[in-house]
Amino acid sequence: MALFKKKATNTNAEVDTFKSPNKLNIEPFLYLLPFIIGILIFTIYPIFNVLRYSFIEGLGHPLGKQLAERCTFILTDASAKGCDLTWGLGNFEYVLKDKYFWSALKNTFQYVLCVVPVSTCLAIIFAVLLNQKIKLRGLFQTVFFLPMVTSSIAVGICWKYLFNYNYGFINYLLNTFGIASVDWLGQASMNIWAVIIYGIWDIMPMTIILLLSGLQNIDEMYYTAAKVDGAKTLRIFFRITVPLLAPTIGLVMILNTISCFKVYSSIFPLFNGSAGITGKNLYTAVFYIYNQFFINSKYGRAAAAAVLLFFIIFAFTMFQKWFQNKVSN
Amino acid sequence: MKIKIEHLTKRFGNFTAVDDFSTTFEDGELIALLGPSGCGKSTMLNMLSGILPVTEGKIYFDDDDVTDVSPDKRGVGLVFQNYALYPHMTVLQNICFPLEIQKMPKEERIAKAKEMAKLVHVDEFLDRKPGQLSGGQQQRVAIARALVKKPRLLLLDEPLSNLDARLRLEMREEIRRIQQETGITTVFVTHDQEEAMSISDHIVLMKLGVKQQYAEPQELYNDPANNFVADFLGNPPINKIFGVAKGGNFELEDGSASFPFELCSKVAEGTKVTLGIRAESAYPVATAEEAAFVGEVSSTYAMGKEELGYIKIGNQEFRAYIASELGYKKGDAINVGFKDRGVFLFVTETGERVR
Ligand SMILES: Nc1ncnc2c1ncn2[C@@H]1O[C@H](COP(=O)(O)OP(=O)(O)OP(=O)(O)O)[C@@H](O)[C@H]1O
Ligand SMILES: [Mg+2]
Repeated sequence: MALFKKKATNTNAEVDTFKSPNKLNIEPFLYLLPFIIGILIFTIYPIFNVLRYSFIEGLGHPLGKQLAERCTFILTDASAKGCDLTWGLGNFEYVLKDKYFWSALKNTFQYVLCVVPVSTCLAIIFAVLLNQKIKLRGLFQTVFFLPMVTSSIAVGICWKYLFNYNYGFINYLLNTFGIASVDWLGQASMNIWAVIIYGIWDIMPMTIILLLSGLQNIDEMYYTAAKVDGAKTLRIFFRITVPLLAPTIGLVMILNTISCFKVYSSIFPLFNGSAGITGKNLYTAVFYIYNQFFINSKYGRAAAAAVLLFFIIFAFTMFQKWFQNKVSN
Repeated sequence: MKIKIEHLTKRFGNFTAVDDFSTTFEDGELIALLGPSGCGKSTMLNMLSGILPVTEGKIYFDDDDVTDVSPDKRGVGLVFQNYALYPHMTVLQNICFPLEIQKMPKEERIAKAKEMAKLVHVDEFLDRKPGQLSGGQQQRVAIARALVKKPRLLLLDEPLSNLDARLRLEMREEIRRIQQETGITTVFVTHDQEEAMSISDHIVLMKLGVKQQYAEPQELYNDPANNFVADFLGNPPINKIFGVAKGGNFELEDGSASFPFELCSKVAEGTKVTLGIRAESAYPVATAEEAAFVGEVSSTYAMGKEELGYIKIGNQEFRAYIASELGYKKGDAINVGFKDRGVFLFVTETGERVR
């Protein structure tokens, strides 16, 4: 209202905005409103709703249990539609006792603990190489970032062929080094390794971009200074480049950890359709949530698993930050 | 170590940054590379250190041709304009780093680094990171790091330009002290004439990549090779009166005044010449007979015992010191005499000095 009043007395509302900095002006908020509404509906509200669902144990409804569950999913206020909600920690209890949840977590941790360090190390090396003043530098940079702009389905199909037991390139490579072929996609125990290899490749371009921007912030004069003193490439890399890049490395590792914990969509194209089946090795935390929700229609359990995953990621990230701070001091 | 530079040229594309530069720096001297911004000082320094390859010419350290020797094999210590201290290392680690590269045993290099830190007075800050030091302290650490490997030549690129006026005075004395204590041949870049004049043994003055003069500071001031050198040195800047040489007389451009000036007979009749007069070299004399010419006082400013006055000749003005007890006022006629020193004649077009 204040805004409209002001407009009535002042022909130029903009001038007024700058004249009275002390008064709360709602005009900027009006411009932000569409965005805020979007965030509220599609991000904030679902987060709280998930938290709420995780505590809903059971439903009673005159129309029957099945329908009632659908109604909690679709309609936000189930009790208003005549559902009796029972609240409690039952969902958490179920999830924590579920062996599939634990195996999903184990796979997820294995994925995170392999993909993040390996991809970071490789990305540092590639970023440093790409940052050199080499011929065709532009071409190399483009090639390395190609995966980012390519459809993940197309990429997945390519990898499916690379992993193929009989004529895949990866087995061909292994064979040339005298190692027997591996049934990456068929043999359950190898699935997770296929996903890890794919995951490392998948996450590299973004990691390299971030590291490259970090590298470009390192002043050339440090390298010149070291070279005048006679430092060789390796010493410069370990004593100057890596320490000066440490903040970016830390950031990249945290971002990658979070995204790896949520690994899900990149697995689909590799196993087209047959991904995430209970008991198989490529079963990850997000698959567990997905299956509980869409396949089993256990919304409470899915929500409880999601909340647990959130706290695991949160704790892990905090630990990582603490550790990085400790190392950098 | 003596440094001999022969016909050194550096071109970037078709732009010549340093042009046919030849000179010799004597062993153990502090040499200032002086010149306006963009005249090729850093380029010269970087060629001496080996960071920049030369286009033409030769550089000798003592009798060794080092023109194609890589920077690390030249034994030079380099101090960057922004110091380039490694921000993640402590002061001690920074100073140790050049020795670490030489694979000196840890204890030995720490001892050496501490000794060097003491020399430049940063031994209290050994455990600090560069970010926790003041500009002057960082500067000293950078010098210590450059000196610790006992270079044969120390190069400093505008080492003082990042410091405030007071610290700059202090640090230039420090650089002088350190240089004299170590006796290392040192070349430092500056665009500040006062800085160069006050601490160096010799000054190389450059302009647009060309060496103008290589001389001791006082000589550079008292006996400039050309108009540019005379112009660049001195505060207040040298006075310039533009005129034409006519029958052994100096005649102002518009003919508004004319007076005999011996050197004018050494150039062709009608040559455009510039008279350069240092403010302290023109002074009032009692009679018109002793005077070089008669001018008119156009304004005076009190400056303690002396007054800085503007004297008009014809329609041109110049600055001179006038003793205040003489009581000259605006509009008074004044007999101006020249001292032997500090009055030069240049050919206007080429800037060449007439001797
Ligand atoms: N890599 C380069 N490519 C092209 N031109 C260059 C390059 N480096 C320097 N120059 C040019 O060479 C000239 C001399 O540069 P230099 O850095 O030696 O100047 P300087 O005397 O150190 O100036 P300042 O006092 O501003 O540092 C400048 O005109 C500059 O533009
Ligand atoms: Mg420079």
